[in-house]
Amino acid sequence: MNLRRYSELLEVSSGDPDDARRRQLLNILLLGLAVLTLLTILITGTVIAAHMANPDKAALLAFFVSLGALAAIGLVFAINHYWSGQVASVLFLLMLTIVVALSDEPRQVVEGRSVFLFTIPILMASVILRPWASFALAGLSSLVIATLALRLPEYVPPAPTMLGFFAFAFVAWLSARSLESALKDLRDINRELDQRVEKRTQELQVANKELARANERLRELDRLKSKFVSMVSHELRTPLGAIQGFAEMLQAGIYGSLSKKQEDALERISKNTRRLLMIVNDLLDQARIEAGELSIRPTVFSPSDLTEDLKSTVGVLVERKGLELTTEVADDVPDSLYGDKERLHQILVNLTDNAIKFTDEGGVHVHICRPDGKHTSHWAIEVSDTGPGISEEDEELVFAPFRRVDDSMTREHIGVGLGLSIVKQLVELMNGEIILESEPGQGSTFTVVLPLQPEQRRTV
Amino acid sequence: MSKRSAMIIEDNEDLAIIFAEALQAAGFDTGIIQDGSTALTRLESCVPNIIILDLHLPHVSGEDILKHIRADERLVETRVIIATADPRMADMLKDQADLVLLKPISFGQLRDLAGRLSPQPA
Repeated sequence: MNLRRYSELLEVSSGDPDDARRRQLLNILLLGLAVLTLLTILITGTVIAAHMANPDKAALLAFFVSLGALAAIGLVFAINHYWSGQVASVLFLLMLTIVVALSDEPRQVVEGRSVFLFTIPILMASVILRPWASFALAGLSSLVIATLALRLPEYVPPAPTMLGFFAFAFVAWLSARSLESALKDLRDINRELDQRVEKRTQELQVANKELARANERLRELDRLKSKFVSMVSHELRTPLGAIQGFAEMLQAGIYGSLSKKQEDALERISKNTRRLLMIVNDLLDQARIEAGELSIRPTVFSPSDLTEDLKSTVGVLVERKGLELTTEVADDVPDSLYGDKERLHQILVNLTDNAIKFTDEGGVHVHICRPDGKHTSHWAIEVSDTGPGISEEDEELVFAPFRRVDDSMTREHIGVGLGLSIVKQLVELMNGEIILESEPGQGSTFTVVLPLQPEQRRTV
Repeated sequence: MSKRSAMIIEDNEDLAIIFAEALQAAGFDTGIIQDGSTALTRLESCVPNIIILDLHLPHVSGEDILKHIRADERLVETRVIIATADPRMADMLKDQADLVLLKPISFGQLRDLAGRLSPQPA
């Protein structure tokens, strides 16, 4: 049942909230009265029906009076709803006073059992009209009983009763007034709150706009930074390429034979140029990833190509450090995979390079396999080393750009700390994930998990 | 039999020298051109066996030169190696060139590749 809809029937729309409240209150009173009247009609109707042959006169009178009252209630309701609350209230109170005056014997009305019924319209007047209206009703009630008293023999107008009406009106006036002022205060507070909310909302909107502008400026700065890094990297790569090329030509004997010392010096030039070039390449990659310019270009390749290319790239490095690099491709890995071979090579070289950096004894094992567990539609590259391992708190730092775990350990290996960060970002660009498992003293394993083509997925 | 010829179209002099040396080491006669319009003029009169083509050139871009080469029937046998630092351009043009190399290109790499692509006649 929808109570709200029924209660809406009693509401009257009005520009003045007090008027609306009073008119609604009047409607509620009318409803209560209508229910009482209907009950009377029902009861008297039943009594009359039971004695059809000789109907009770009092019952008949009550029946017809009730019918009239019901019609009057409907009329007042209509006036209240469509025209004026004040007119309706005045009519209602007059009607009520007349009913009270006629409800009993005149003697009882003047100073008997029914005299107190006059307090009902007096009280109602204070709430459905203005607070002072209760005095008007007290006056009207006094007039009624004075008139009745004068018409009765041996009766004079009962002054104490009339005074009592005014005393009652005074109490009603006081309470209605305090109720109205409390309601007014409440409305004022509400209005002030509304204003405050509106003001705060406006301030918030202004702040939001400023924030958006600041954000846009930051994004612009970020774009500029990426563009700058990218441009500088380009400009650095060209002369570096030239230095590398000329050193290589000298080493190849294009410009004549060299002494042992000259060869050593050239080797150092080459080595440092390569290192610098790698750093510039990393910076360029990082800038392109940040600018969203780095795209993945997948092709079909064989997993063994990856391990062979890796060996030829890092073989010298491994040998020089006296380590062992072993590679293995598991049997259940498809012969041909789909992915960006160049970038996968970069990932593998970065991970292996990192492993070699931190491993002094033992070696690095690269395993291309199908991962267990939830990754049934994936393949994986595992790079494990026998190095010092990574503590749990450092694991989070490992993939952060420009951060290096334990600088004292990497002192010999100059770099900007981008290798693993780039790996992670590349893996994410390939819709894969990278997992690090390590314990200090137990070595580390980096596992790159990448999606297979749909047709290559394992049938479960 | 005369040596096979290579045309190096590269505006950076240092890189042009490295490319030329690498191709000479692979057994080519080499000529260096440092701007796009000169390259187009020269291509009207000579048919090199191999062209090393930079993309960022003064006057006429490497891309336009590549189009010109591919449209010229005389140059149908000419092998084109693009040398660029821009991976996006490399990707875009890889179907039109015989080989695309991303800069920096090492001397040894170019020497070996050029040797394989168009070996010195016996």
